[in-house]
Amino acid sequence: MSVRHALLALLSEGPKYGLQLRQEFEERTGDVWPLNVGQVYTTLGRLERDGLVEADDAHEDERQRGYRITAEGEKELAAWFGTPSEAGSPPRDELVIKVLVAMGVPGVEVGDVIQIHRRHLVELMQQWTRIKEDEGRLDLALALAVDAELFRLESVVRWLDAAEGRMKRSSLGPAPAATPRPRLRLRARSR
Amino acid sequence: MTLALERVAPVHRSDTGGAPARRAIVRWTWRLFKREWPQQLLVLCLVTVAVAATIVGAAVATNTPLPANEGFGTAQDIATFSLPSRSFPSELATLRHRFGRAEVIEQAPLVLPGSVQTFQLRAESPHGTFSQPLLSLLSGAYPRRQDEVAVTAGVASAFRLRIGDRWRVGGQTRRVVGTVANPENLLDEFALVLPGAIAEPTHATVLFDAPRVSAASIGPTVRSVTHQAPPNVVNPESISLAGVTLGMLLIALVAVGGFAVLAQRRLRSIGMLESLGATDRHLRLTLRANGVIVGVAGAVLGVLSGFAAWSAYRPSLEQSSHHVIGELQLPVAVVVVSMGLAVLTTFLASGHPARQMTRRSVVAALSGRPAPPPRVHRTVVPGVVLLVGAFLLLTVSGGMIGGGMPELVLGLAALIAAMILLGPFFLSGVAELGRRAPVAVRLALRDLDRYRARSGPALAAVALGVLIAVVICVAASARYGNVLDYTGPNLASDQMIVYASSHASGAVMVKRGGPEQRGNSAKTAKAPPLAVVRKSVLGIAAALGTRDVVELLQVPVTLQRAAPGRNFTGPLYVATPSLLRAFGIKASQFSPSADILSMRPGLAGISGMHLLPSGPGPLHGPGPGGLAHPVIETVSALPSGTSAPNTVITEHAVHELQLSPTVSGWLVQAPATLSASQVASARQAAAALGLSIETKDDAPSGGQVISYATLFGIALALAVLAMTVGLLRSETAGDLRTLAATGAGSRTRRALTATTAGALALLGALLGTIGGYAGAVAWFSASTLNGGVSALANVPLRSLLFILVAMPLFAAAVGWLVAGRQPPVIAHQPME
Amino acid sequence: MALLEMHRVTKVYGEGASQVLAVRDIDLSVAAGDLLAVMGPSGSGKSTLLTIAGSLEDPTSGEVVIDGQLLSGMSRNDKARLRRRSVGYVFQDFNLLPGLTALENVSLPLELDGVRARRARELAAAALEELGLDERVAHFPDELSGGERQRVAIARATVGERHLLLADEPSGALDSASGEAVMRMVLAACRRGLGAVVVTHNAQLASWADRVVFIRDGRLVDQTAIPPSPESLLQQGSEP
Repeated sequence: MSVRHALLALLSEGPKYGLQLRQEFEERTGDVWPLNVGQVYTTLGRLERDGLVEADDAHEDERQRGYRITAEGEKELAAWFGTPSEAGSPPRDELVIKVLVAMGVPGVEVGDVIQIHRRHLVELMQQWTRIKEDEGRLDLALALAVDAELFRLESVVRWLDAAEGRMKRSSLGPAPAATPRPRLRLRARSR
Repeated sequence: MTLALERVAPVHRSDTGGAPARRAIVRWTWRLFKREWPQQLLVLCLVTVAVAATIVGAAVATNTPLPANEGFGTAQDIATFSLPSRSFPSELATLRHRFGRAEVIEQAPLVLPGSVQTFQLRAESPHGTFSQPLLSLLSGAYPRRQDEVAVTAGVASAFRLRIGDRWRVGGQTRRVVGTVANPENLLDEFALVLPGAIAEPTHATVLFDAPRVSAASIGPTVRSVTHQAPPNVVNPESISLAGVTLGMLLIALVAVGGFAVLAQRRLRSIGMLESLGATDRHLRLTLRANGVIVGVAGAVLGVLSGFAAWSAYRPSLEQSSHHVIGELQLPVAVVVVSMGLAVLTTFLASGHPARQMTRRSVVAALSGRPAPPPRVHRTVVPGVVLLVGAFLLLTVSGGMIGGGMPELVLGLAALIAAMILLGPFFLSGVAELGRRAPVAVRLALRDLDRYRARSGPALAAVALGVLIAVVICVAASARYGNVLDYTGPNLASDQMIVYASSHASGAVMVKRGGPEQRGNSAKTAKAPPLAVVRKSVLGIAAALGTRDVVELLQVPVTLQRAAPGRNFTGPLYVATPSLLRAFGIKASQFSPSADILSMRPGLAGISGMHLLPSGPGPLHGPGPGGLAHPVIETVSALPSGTSAPNTVITEHAVHELQLSPTVSGWLVQAPATLSASQVASARQAAAALGLSIETKDDAPSGGQVISYATLFGIALALAVLAMTVGLLRSETAGDLRTLAATGAGSRTRRALTATTAGALALLGALLGTIGGYAGAVAWFSASTLNGGVSALANVPLRSLLFILVAMPLFAAAVGWLVAGRQPPVIAHQPME
Repeated sequence: MALLEMHRVTKVYGEGASQVLAVRDIDLSVAAGDLLAVMGPSGSGKSTLLTIAGSLEDPTSGEVVIDGQLLSGMSRNDKARLRRRSVGYVFQDFNLLPGLTALENVSLPLELDGVRARRARELAAAALEELGLDERVAHFPDELSGGERQRVAIARATVGERHLLLADEPSGALDSASGEAVMRMVLAACRRGLGAVVVTHNAQLASWADRVVFIRDGRLVDQTAIPPSPESLLQQGSEP
């Protein structure tokens, strides 16, 4: 997730103060990713350095300073929306590495490793799901964010399920050819 | 919800849910029937047709013969008197004194000048207590005065009369006031006048009631209505009921398969019900209720369509049976029993699938996975035991003098049961045979074996139809092939025999007689001189439009066979030159030494024949006037009727035996089929002379019986196939989808259906033929009276070919043609 | 008191060489208000577990107690009665009897238990109304959407005094929104005091449960701890 571009996006709606940016960010993302003020100003500083935003005046106090997006910033934002999010190269996921490594280590039951992760993931999902329980008070942004997290976690659980199934099959050795039915044998003989 | 929880207090609830549960189940079943009745159309149609056919058949059969009280009105007894008679008034007074009411109907002949047709002038009260049913007014009015007369339609047309005409009849000019009819006998043609309006009646009929007094004790000419039709077990009602019972048995066999498929289709629903807490009894109720619903629907539809058909057919039946038949004159017992049987049949047929259904695991049911086809009847033993039992019973029955009816019925029942039990084994055999066949054939045959629960009953039903046909064919050809005891139609439809004595023709005469003839036969008529009679017969023939009359002579001799078994039956006329000439037989066609000429094929080959003098005395072989081993020659030109001169004694033999022939009758050959009215007026004319006539009766010929039986068997088998093959194939619709997915096209589909139909038909035909012949062999082998097993030598080959070859081919061809289009049931199989 | 208890339940299918152990040594307990999810891949024995828990199948060994009544030794009729009065099933795709309207489907278990039709329908209508289906009462199953059918099934499984809900992949064939709606209803039923067991292979569905047990090759191998409240989740999170 790019806080940098999210702030640019918010500024593209009009000039805003730093605190205002933080508040809007949290609202838009359903309060799922809390942002501290320091983080906001650091990011704004970097954006200013790169010429993507400019402060309206050089107030000593950061909090009094308003920011607006530059033409360069608009271009950068458009390019960001137009670029698919990074999904091509495999992430160096710690879980994946752990499972792959565990297969070779003597005395480590890979199934147990998988189950420990699975349980943890499901527990996390249970917590996320709890947020959705009270439908009446659920706001849309939050629901979308929670769904995103649930789907992400589910995909990991499914990878674990698939990995477990694949390992189980390979441990059984090559699957024995299904015993041919008598009918097939007969036909072969009669040829 | 919480509120709801509290309100369902567990008070009046039984452990099994009680009536509300049953109602809920029946309601569901009824809904499904309403939605899915086309799936059960076959069973429904069968039941409907069976009930309707029974009702129409029984109604026609019971209403066709003249009612037992024909001529009696509502009276129980009739006395006939020849008039004028001095004792009549006193005898009438005695009757009135003894029995109260007595109504007199006076009659005199009414002659149409220049015609042999005779009519009656009848004096009868249209409002008599007893005689009222004998009269109905068609138009105008009944006569109210001495000089008024009403006539029947026949009289009106013969005398060219219309209402209002003046007509001189019975020595008096009368005014025609109406047209009437005798509802009990539409052939009865008469002119009606007031009682006492006939000046010179020739006879009188007295109607009265003499309860608990035997007719004979009152007087020689008295008859009671009860003595007319002795109670007989074999009556139209019982025959119809036997027919419907047999039909329902067949339907039950088909229905078992149909309901099993239905249970299969509803498998998931049944599983669902069970998971909801339905007990086994509830689950069975779903199918049982369905059975009853189908039965009731079929019975009601059957009664309605039967009644509609009856209403449509009744007028033509009145025409052909010559008496008025009431719209509601239906055999109520047959209607009620056949409806009951219909419901019972479908109810019982649902029992087995219902029990099977509850044996299935609920988990398998819920997943809609069909249970592996149950292996039914793994053991041959019960079937074989029943077969042996049937054989023994039939043998016992055949060996009995007079048939041994209970044994015969039990034997046939055992035979049928054996075939039902043995059928499935044929199925596995055929699956074995088909192991090397192309895939579609192999699959079809294996499915027949795998789904034995469905195909078994279908096979049994086909076999049963064939068995019935084969038994009838075999028995008929054995019976009709018997040249001694010759059976068949009595005469051709354009032939008539006039007998010199009214006793000669026996029952034939009495059966068809109208009231006035009974009056005549009551008179002891003195035979008029032969020349007069001969002239009258020529007159009768002339009225029929022919001069082709052959005089029939008889000699006091009979043809007998000195061996146990059936003996020669039928008349033995003298082969006079005129008789031979009439049938185009020249003297050169048979040897001069021939004693007997016969058209009966094979009679010439029968050994041990004797010509014996008839008359009183023991028959101990040829004595004086007799002849052992007469020379019999076959002359096929002789007529084939059983009453016709099919076997004649040559003049050579007559001379040798020194017999003197007497005239016994005349064979009249009409130019065309005799109509009922021609027969009726000829009969009246003959009766007036103390003669009687015989015309073609309803007995079918052997060929007809065999053809009908074959057609019946084939139709039944094909009907069963039409119904079951669809069911069987829908059962394996899943396989078909898989086949289609693997690229099998309509050819495969066609081959599958054609094989299924053809194989079932062939197997059923084989099974039925074998069963039928086995039964016939058992029965005939013990029955020396009927000629033993050799009687079966006359094989109805054509029928068997039809059944064994043509029928399976036809079934396969129809299957091939019908299966071309993908049936919608396969395209989207109903799941919910 | 536990609504459902299973002690060392084992189920073996087949005999001899083709013997299959569907479930082994299962111990499970569900109390009123519990929503328990049984999670496992297909073939892990989770459906068998459910059919045994609902008395549709008998275990080869072990004991099942529903509502304090021991199932072993019970007659088929008694089990049927127990199902009528205590257990409600929801299956994956086929739940409603064709030919009966939504209302009649819901009232059917009551009628099977001897409640008069009119009374049963009042109760069924109330149950349907509660699930927002009051406009669909007169519809036949084939006129309802997949989600509606499952909701009617839940109404039927919870109507009357039934308080043990057993669901086998109740939203298996539905999209995620409809699946979520179904699970919401199950959860709501549990909040009212029913006990429920949902078997599924889907982690999102399972995560609605208070407790998730994992089944592998017929054994219960693990279960989740009581989850912390959602607030803690929000507090802990920072920039990923």
